[in-house]
Amino acid sequence: MQHEAGIWVHHMNRRIAYAAVLMLPLLLGAGCARGKPDTSASEPEAAATDPRTPPPAAKPSVPATPRSTPAPARAPAPAPRAKDPAPPAASKGAPATAKPPAAAPTLDLTALKERLKDTKAIGIFSKITLKNQVDDLLDQFRAYHQGKAKLTMIDLRRSYELMMMKVLSLLQDEDQALASDIVSSREAIWGLLADPKKFAALQG
Amino acid sequence: MNRLTAALAQSVAVTAFLVVPSSAQNDEALKKDLTAVIALHGLPCGQVIDVAVLAESDYAASCKDGNRYRVYLNAEGRVIVEKQK
Repeated sequence: MQHEAGIWVHHMNRRIAYAAVLMLPLLLGAGCARGKPDTSASEPEAAATDPRTPPPAAKPSVPATPRSTPAPARAPAPAPRAKDPAPPAASKGAPATAKPPAAAPTLDLTALKERLKDTKAIGIFSKITLKNQVDDLLDQFRAYHQGKAKLTMIDLRRSYELMMMKVLSLLQDEDQALASDIVSSREAIWGLLADPKKFAALQG
Repeated sequence: MNRLTAALAQSVAVTAFLVVPSSAQNDEALKKDLTAVIALHGLPCGQVIDVAVLAESDYAASCKDGNRYRVYLNAEGRVIVEKQK
């Protein structure tokens, strides 16, 4: 009886050894799979709301396009417009119990840049291409502020909007949080680019 | 010994099954990336359906619409898209 038990234990040990050998690649594969699609890692404080819904901040920023305004070519007209939406809400004299206005997103260019670098929603070649195009756009702004460009502010605004569209179209499906943060910062970033002093500070 | 060999063979087979999809996923990611790059350059493509690696950071992309492009990183760090005939 004892001998049979010994044989049984011996068989069990071998089976366990085989099972361990078979399980090893599975465990390794699981580890690889866990490392792959971790897109949520770059979405820190994803809103509790449905991420598929379009970001509410996108709409207010759209009317600020200077296309409809017959602004002179050299006037950095759109920059102050970014501040327009805030005063009306405050001047209405809303009761204290009313819902407080949504906190204006503070622009953290460095953080946005880092998040764009880190996001897995955009491939490496696309990131390099975007960077090339952003650099070209910055060159155009620099030339404009130095009075060397033939472009008007309206042209620059159009190029800026196009660039935003490109970035957002790459992000919106897989990194919704970053896409909405960029949409929220759109006017603030434009303010930095359109204002010669702020732009110079940005470059320095 | 034979059992151990069989177990090892099974293990290798399972590993192969896991590695192939990973490579395929990388391939799909590259196709998606090149599709985006070509679109960012404003060139017609639709979707990259096949990629041939010419060198490091140098690819020949075939598009769904029949267009073919060479996509590469030049010495200045710019991504260049050249239409191939």
